[in-house]
Amino acid sequence: MLTMLEEVVLLAVDEKNGQLRSTREFGTAYALVGALFFDLALARKIDTDTEEIQIVDTTATGNATLDRVLGFMTKRPDLTTVRAWIEELFLQRQDLEGEALASLIERGILRHEVSKLLWIIDVERFPMVNNRHQQHVKLRLAQAILTDDIPETRDIMLVSIAEQCGLLEYVLSSAELANRKDRIQMLSNLETISRKVTAAILNLDNSLRTAMTKVV
Amino acid sequence: MIQLTQETRSGWCVVGVQGRADAEAADELEGALRAALELHPKVAADLGKLDYISSAGLRAVIQAARAAQAKNAEFAVCSLSAPVQKVFDMSGMHHIMRIHGELPC
Repeated sequence: MLTMLEEVVLLAVDEKNGQLRSTREFGTAYALVGALFFDLALARKIDTDTEEIQIVDTTATGNATLDRVLGFMTKRPDLTTVRAWIEELFLQRQDLEGEALASLIERGILRHEVSKLLWIIDVERFPMVNNRHQQHVKLRLAQAILTDDIPETRDIMLVSIAEQCGLLEYVLSSAELANRKDRIQMLSNLETISRKVTAAILNLDNSLRTAMTKVV
Repeated sequence: MIQLTQETRSGWCVVGVQGRADAEAADELEGALRAALELHPKVAADLGKLDYISSAGLRAVIQAARAAQAKNAEFAVCSLSAPVQKVFDMSGMHHIMRIHGELPC
């Protein structure tokens, strides 16, 4: 089974050309951190309440990324809130995406291609070897959003992360997303980690807006 | 540490939940609620003596509600203590399950 982090990165790959979609760059980075925390929560390594994050089991998961981050977390007892950990791991965002891509390539789901743009600039692409996995992620998202059934835990998490990354527009039509806006909001609000990721993105947007206003 | 009880009242199976519903207790809580739903068409989770609920505990309750929905059973949570009520309110749990101030039976 793919990790939540791998599923989100896979969803960000354009199935037509293998390019990585990056619709809200910093928002996506925060959401990747959220996906990582969800993976640790699903593996029963961490738990959260409305503000704080607790490490409940330090034994290895067998996944290199999760174990690296879990090891890092155990060495930082000074960081206790979900918000502080989101900000801390935001600094490792490129590692998270790169490790997820490497894993997807190793599993034979994607392949790595580098081509030249104007004979100078390297352009990386990750074409799909098999799009079955991405279709499965999209189907689960569509079912979670378009029906009124209570989704599985994993799919609730997936909806909230995909929404924060701006990736739902590649799964459903604009009309479907508009019709189900309340449902998406409701599912995203169920998880503390999602709420904190949303708050971090809003805070960043406000900071950028303030900085731009000062420049102008 | 979580303590679970079960009794039947006026056609409802009432699962009493006491203590802390955290990562350590989440499987036990979900298992007890699912087991009650297997045997009874109406199940209420009495959270009056639940002092604390984490995200893992909340997920256990959500998945119990999902199981109830799948088999068309009635599922309600009742008598929430103040700290648990706060968590339920923040998460918008009322959108996906019935929450009662008192037991429905």
